[in-house]
Amino acid sequence: MIQLYNVCKAYQREQYALKDITLKIDKGAFVYLTGPSGAGKSTLLKLLYCAERPTRGQILVNGRNITRYGAAKIPYLRRNIGIVFQDFKLLNRRTIFENVAFPLEVQGRKRFEISKKVYQMLKKVGLQHRLNHHPVQLSGGDQQRVAVARAVVVDPQILLADEPTGNLDPEVTLDIMELFKGANARGTTVIMATHDRDLIRQFPRRVVALDAGHLSLDDMPLFVRPSASSGSS
Amino acid sequence: MHAPGGYFFKRALRNMQQSPVLSLASIGTVAVALALLAFFAITVLNVQQLTASWSKSLAIVAYIDDVPEQSVVESWIARIEDYPEVAAVVFVSRDTAFERFRKRLGEDADLIEGLGASILPASLEISLTEDARSQAAVQAVVERLRKDQRFDDLQYGQGWLEKLEAFLLILRFCGAGLGGFLVFAALVIVANTIKLTLYARQDELEAMTMVGATSLFIKLPYLVEGALQGLFGGLAALGLSFVVFRFVLQKSLGSLLLITGIDTIHFLPPIWQFMLVVCGSLVGLMGSLFALRKFVRFGAS
Repeated sequence: MIQLYNVCKAYQREQYALKDITLKIDKGAFVYLTGPSGAGKSTLLKLLYCAERPTRGQILVNGRNITRYGAAKIPYLRRNIGIVFQDFKLLNRRTIFENVAFPLEVQGRKRFEISKKVYQMLKKVGLQHRLNHHPVQLSGGDQQRVAVARAVVVDPQILLADEPTGNLDPEVTLDIMELFKGANARGTTVIMATHDRDLIRQFPRRVVALDAGHLSLDDMPLFVRPSASSGSS
Repeated sequence: MHAPGGYFFKRALRNMQQSPVLSLASIGTVAVALALLAFFAITVLNVQQLTASWSKSLAIVAYIDDVPEQSVVESWIARIEDYPEVAAVVFVSRDTAFERFRKRLGEDADLIEGLGASILPASLEISLTEDARSQAAVQAVVERLRKDQRFDDLQYGQGWLEKLEAFLLILRFCGAGLGGFLVFAALVIVANTIKLTLYARQDELEAMTMVGATSLFIKLPYLVEGALQGLFGGLAALGLSFVVFRFVLQKSLGSLLLITGIDTIHFLPPIWQFMLVVCGSLVGLMGSLFALRKFVRFGAS
């Protein structure tokens, strides 16, 4: 479970990227984080994977307060969080196989286990035949598939995606969304920042909207709600 | 950190393979700096050998105006030979001294025609052990001989000894200074070369931090890479300095030393060769360490 209590983030004095955000996201939820550019979506995600610290407020992930995590603890937090970026952030000098294997190597998994998991993962995203290619040899859509594979290969508790389909064509977008849905179905909490309204309409889930750093909407589409109160703050 | 050591070694080799130009630049920098250091070490080493051969002729001469009986002289010799600094003591009689003087005059020997051996004093020539060929040790022996009061005059080439020691001191000081400067320069250049590599890989380092790699896990392959580059640089420096020693130094320095009576010049002894390669590895390792200090950041601010 993710809990944010009165979280503020200011990059400059009195210029808030996020202001007084209180939010609760249940384990296994799928949440869209939406809003116009500069609304604070990326900042909120950065706070969750400790790339930024809140100026005020508290953030709890699975009951642990990560607000003041130091550099030594952050890697261990991130091992439970898969992150997908709009610009993929792949290791361009490594092969597709090595890219997906890297988070498992970091965790010290055995070699045969790594090979098996990576192959299965690449098969799932349809890239098992390109495992020896380098990222630059792939299309944008395929690179994003690799990024998703890298994020979910460790079976993370949380998957954070920052505009993952922003640069992709509609067909690839649907494939990527299927991968996120698959991870969510396996119990991973998914938080996806997007301003693609068509996508939200196509795959309706809880929507948390930000506007100029304020929480402007927290809504669950009626047909998604299993009960009146679940999943919303 | 759970990955085996082989993983970091393999990654370091892959990094070098993927950036051959930058790797070669680092290796070349270390090689040139250490080769210069090696040339200087070879020169210092051989000049030291030269000065050591000069200092072999260092001796204390104790003059005796009134020569006592032979048994007394022998007892003096035995006592002086007991000094730890003394290697040997030779008695030079007036006749021997006169004969040497005559030989030294050569064609001008007729200048002393008609003069007797009594114009020169007898003496004890005291040669010193290798460890005692320093100003302080010579001074200690001379003080003891002076206290004895049996000798009328003591000569030990004081001015020459002072100059020799000053020369050796300057040589060692220059060696240490230049060596330190070269190693420091290599360190800075290697650190900057590795920094360039890291600038090119900044996105990669950031991506690594995003999947939960610890700082050490990210840094270790780069540290191993730096050490390997330094090792290769050290080996290249050794090879380069040997080639230059064999084909240049041995000819130019060799003929210079031949004039002074030394027939062979030496390359670095094995322990120095080993130290040169170790020094290369350390320079590479330290260069990586300095370069990496501010590169791996997890972003929390």
